[in-house]
Amino acid sequence: MSEPVAGAAKSPSYDAVVIGAGANGLVAATRLAQSGLRVLLLERSDALGGQGAIVEFAPGFRAAPLGIDPGWIPPAVARGLGLESLAGDPAEASLSVAIAPGSFLTLSRDAGRAAEAIKVHSASDAAKWPAFTGLLHRLAGFLGALYQTPAPDVGLASAADLPALLGLALKYRALGRQEMIEFLRTLPLSVWDLLDDAFESAPLKAAVAPGGIQDYRQGPRSGGTGYVLLHHLVGAPAGMVRGRLPWRGGPGAFTDAAEAAARRAGVTIRTGAAVTRITVHDDAATGVVLSNGEEITAGAILSTADPSRTLLDWVDPVWLDPEFMHAVGNIRYRGCTAVVLYALDTLPEFPGLESRDALAGLISLTPSVRALEKAADAAKYGEVSEHPHVEISVPTLRTAALADNGKHVMIARVQYAPYRLRDGAAWDAARREALADRVTAAIEAVSPGFGARVKHRVALSPRDLEERFGLREGAPTQGELGLDQILFMRPVAGWGRHATPIRGLYLGGAGAHPGPGILGGAGWLAASRLLADRRGGSKGA
Amino acid sequence: MTPRYDAIVVGGGHNGLVTAAYLARAGKKTLVLERRDLVGGAAVTEEVFPGFKFSVFSYVVSLLRPEIIRDLDLPRHGLQILPLESTVTPLDNGDYLAGWADPDETRRELCRHSPRDADASAVFGRLMHHMAMAVRPILGMVPPDPTSLSPGDLVGLLKLGGHFRSLGAERFHALHKLMTMSSADYLDEWFEFGPLKATKSASGIIGTFLGPRSPGSAYVLLHHYMGELDGAFRAWGFQKGGTGGISESIAGAARAHGVTIRTGAAVERVIVRNNRATGVVLEGGEEISAKIVISGLDPRLTFTKLVESRELPADLVEAVRRFKFRGSSGKVNLALAGLPNFTCMPGEGPHLRGAISISPSVEYLERAYDDAKYGEFSRHPYMDIVIPSMIDPNMAPPGKHVMSVFVQYAPYDLNGGWTDAKREAFGDAVIDTVSRYAPNLKSLILHRQVLTPLDIERMTGLSEGNIFQGELALQQLFFLRPLPQWSNYRTPIEGYWQCGAGTHPGGGIMGASGRLAAMEILRSGS
Repeated sequence: MSEPVAGAAKSPSYDAVVIGAGANGLVAATRLAQSGLRVLLLERSDALGGQGAIVEFAPGFRAAPLGIDPGWIPPAVARGLGLESLAGDPAEASLSVAIAPGSFLTLSRDAGRAAEAIKVHSASDAAKWPAFTGLLHRLAGFLGALYQTPAPDVGLASAADLPALLGLALKYRALGRQEMIEFLRTLPLSVWDLLDDAFESAPLKAAVAPGGIQDYRQGPRSGGTGYVLLHHLVGAPAGMVRGRLPWRGGPGAFTDAAEAAARRAGVTIRTGAAVTRITVHDDAATGVVLSNGEEITAGAILSTADPSRTLLDWVDPVWLDPEFMHAVGNIRYRGCTAVVLYALDTLPEFPGLESRDALAGLISLTPSVRALEKAADAAKYGEVSEHPHVEISVPTLRTAALADNGKHVMIARVQYAPYRLRDGAAWDAARREALADRVTAAIEAVSPGFGARVKHRVALSPRDLEERFGLREGAPTQGELGLDQILFMRPVAGWGRHATPIRGLYLGGAGAHPGPGILGGAGWLAASRLLADRRGGSKGA
Repeated sequence: MTPRYDAIVVGGGHNGLVTAAYLARAGKKTLVLERRDLVGGAAVTEEVFPGFKFSVFSYVVSLLRPEIIRDLDLPRHGLQILPLESTVTPLDNGDYLAGWADPDETRRELCRHSPRDADASAVFGRLMHHMAMAVRPILGMVPPDPTSLSPGDLVGLLKLGGHFRSLGAERFHALHKLMTMSSADYLDEWFEFGPLKATKSASGIIGTFLGPRSPGSAYVLLHHYMGELDGAFRAWGFQKGGTGGISESIAGAARAHGVTIRTGAAVERVIVRNNRATGVVLEGGEEISAKIVISGLDPRLTFTKLVESRELPADLVEAVRRFKFRGSSGKVNLALAGLPNFTCMPGEGPHLRGAISISPSVEYLERAYDDAKYGEFSRHPYMDIVIPSMIDPNMAPPGKHVMSVFVQYAPYDLNGGWTDAKREAFGDAVIDTVSRYAPNLKSLILHRQVLTPLDIERMTGLSEGNIFQGELALQQLFFLRPLPQWSNYRTPIEGYWQCGAGTHPGGGIMGASGRLAAMEILRSGS
C-alpha cells in the first residue's frame, strides 16, 4: 500500500476509518479495503473481536463472556470474506432447563429426540414439537432475508428500492398464506402467549421462553418478545430454539478468520486506539481524534460504536439538528445482563442431567415462565432480581484450550441486572458480588458441591460490560430490540440505512440494522452504503 | 318459503343497533334480538338502587363515529353529550394535577409543575391529533389483508400504502412508534412530570391486560385519542340520562327506519343448513327465519356458542381459541348521600364535574398491573372516577349523588376464582384507595354495586368481561381482528356475519364495527 503522495497535503491519510474491531468493524473494513480503499481500523482495547473477544479472567482460564451465542454470518459476508469454511460444531447442541433439583428437561437439536424427552411431560406437546420448531425456523428464515438488505421503509421508499422490495415480497409469499399470517402475528406477540397457545407443559415453555427476553429489559409477558425470540434464531439450524451453533474452532474462530481476511485485504489495524472525537467540516466528516490527541484524516468514517456515542459524544452538536439529537438521545439501551465467569477445578455434577454433553449446550435454571416474569418485575423498578434468570454453559467441553491442564470454565449469563439502578444507586463491588453470590447459590441448588469447585469467580455487572466492551449501558444490543427500534427504525426513524446527517459518517454497529448477533451484518450493509455513495449512487437517507 | 326477515341481528348492543339501523335504512326488513330486557349491551343505564341511575358499565363517550351521528340523525333521537370538562389527578403530597377545558388554564396549571411539559403538551396534542387523523381512513375501511392476493385486498393495500406515503416519513414513523411502544416509554420521550405521564399513560391500559410499561399500550393510548377528531379537541363526554341514552337514540333511529327490536329474546343458536345461515332459534324453541344472520356478540360466542364448531374449519376454531379476552377491568357504582371531599381540592368545585384519575405515578400503575399478572386484583388500583349526577342531576335524587368508579386491574382469572367474598374485598380495596384522597367517602355511601369481570361477563355476555370484545393488542388488530382471513365481517358460513367490537376497528362506544359490517353486507348484495 502506498503512502499519500508528498505535496498533496490536503488529501486525507485514509479513504476510510472504521471505528471498532468487533465483527461489524472487521467485516466493514475488509469490504472497503477489498474495494480498493485505504482503510484504517481503530480498536479501543488491546484485543480484536468486540463482544466476541476472549479474555483471560483468571490465570490459565479464558472465556468469551458475551459469547454464549456465537451469532450468525450472513451468506454475503461469508462469501465476501472467504469465511465459508468456518463451520459450526455439528456436535449435539442441546438446550436444558432445570425443572427442580435433580430433574432436567433436555431438548436435543434433533426434533425426534427432543420429542422423546418432551413426552415425559406431555404427549401432545411432544407431537407438536417438530412442527413448532419447523415454523420458528421458517419464520426466522424470512427475518434473515430482511436482515440481508437495507430495511424497506414505506415512508422513504423510492423507485430504486423496488427490486429489493419485490425480492422480499416474493420470499414472503413463499412462506404461504398461513405462515405469512403467523409471521406478522408473532412479531408483536409475547413469548408467553406464543408458548401458551402452543403447549401445555410448563418445563417446555420455560426452556424456550428465555430466548424472547435475551438482553431485553422486559418479561416474557411483554408484547414483542415473540420477535426477540425469532431474532436470536436467525441463522440457527432447524430444531434449535435458542441461539446458534458454536464454531468448530472455538469461540475465537470467527474473530481470527475475520482478522486474517482484513489483513489479506490490506486493512491497517491499530489496537489501543480510542477515538474521542469525529472531526466535521462543512457537514462532512473529515477524520477522527484519538485519546492521545493524534488526529487522523479520512474521506469517510464508519463507526461500529453505538449511535449515541458516535453522534452525541464524538460529534460537535453544532453539526446536528436538535430533533435528530433528541431522537438519538431517546434510543433505549437498557442493559440488564450480567455475566459471572467461573474457573473450575473439575467438572461439576448435575444430578438428573442426561449427559455431560448437555453442559456444553445451554442450561437454563429458571423452572417456569412465571418465575422468569417475576425476575423481570424487579428491573422495571431499577432493582436487581432477587431470583435472577441464570443460564450456564461450559465451553471447555468443546474447546479444551480455554483452560490449562484440563480444567474447566463456566459462563453464567444473568438477567435482570438493570444498568440504571433505583434512586441512582451505583453498581459497586458489593452489589456485584451480592448478585454473583445469588448466581452461585442458584447453580449450587442444582449442582451440589458446585461452590467448592470454584477456584476463581469474576462477575461483570452491566457497568463492567460497559467499561470493558464499550457497550453503552452495558447493552450488548447497542439499542434494545423493541419493535420501534428495529428494521427501518434502527437506529432512529428516517436513518435506517446506515448513513447519518453528517456526510461521510456511517453507522455500522449492532445499533444499526440488522442489529446484534448478525456477525458483520450491519458492517457489511454500512460499507455497501459508503461505497455506493462514493460512486455517487444511492441518495437520501 | 320466504324468510320472515332480510336480516336478524343477534345482540342489541350499540354495534348491533347501528348495523340494524343502516340495513333498515337501505330497505332491509331487519330484526334485532336482545337477550336482556333493555337494549345497549354494555352501554346501558339502569336504576340499580331506587332513585339512583347508573351507566352500569361503559360510562363516558368520545369515540362514537360522527358519520353515524349524522347518517342516523341521532340528536333527533335523543343523543345529547354533555362535556366532561376536566381531569384531576390527586397527588400523594396533597397537591393535584388538573387538565381543564380551557387550554390556557391547563397550560398555567401544567407550568406550575413543569414549564417544559407545558410547552411539550401543546406539541404532543397536535401530534396525537395528526396521528388520529392518520388512522382515520383505516377506521373507515375493511382492513386489507397483506397476506391475500385477492384483487380487493391488493387494491386496499395499495390505497393504504399510498395513504401512509402521503403522511410523509416523519408522521409514518411516529405512527409506527405508537403502534409498537409502551405508553410509558412513548410519554417518556415527551414529558418529565411523573403524574402527568401516569395520567396520560392510563389511557394506554384501559380495558387491556397490559401495564403502562408493556409494549403495545401506546396503541391503546392512541385508540382513546381517536375521539378527538371532529371538532377541535372534543374531549370525553357524558350522555344525558346515562350511557343507555346513546343506545336508546340508536334504537330510536333504527325503529324509525323500520327495525323491529325484541328484548327478552335470547338466541340459542343460529340455524345453519348446507353451510348457510337461515335463521335463529330462541331459547324456548321459537324459530325465526331470515336471509342473513349477523352476530353482534364477541368472536368466542359468535363462533363457538351460536354455531357448532364442527360447522367451521379447524384452523378457524384454533384461531378463536387463541384470541385473547382477558378481562382486566372492574366497576364500582356508588349511591352517595352527598359529595365526596377531595383533600387536594376541598369542597365543591368544577373538578367534581369532570374525571378524577387515581394515577399518581407510572410506578403506581405498573405495580397495580403486577398484582393482576399473578392473579390478584390490584391492592391499589388505577381508577377513573366520575360523578354523573353533577353533570345531569336527574341521575340521583335531589341532594344525592351517583359515583362511577372504573377500576383496573381486576383479572378475570383470579387466583381461586371470584367469590362473593372476593368481590366485596375488591370493592373494599377500591373504596379504601379512593378514601385516601377523599376521606369522607365511606360515610357517604348509601349503596354500592361492585362488578368484577366475571359479573360483567354474566350480565352483558362479554367473554371474560373484556370491555372491547377482545384485547386491543397488535396481533388482534386490523386484518387480524378478530381472526386472520375473517376480518371482513364475514364468516365461513354463508349469510352469517359479524358486527361486534371484536371486529375491526374495535371497542369503545364507537359504532364503527357495526357501520362497516352493514356497508359490507349491503355491498355484497345480501
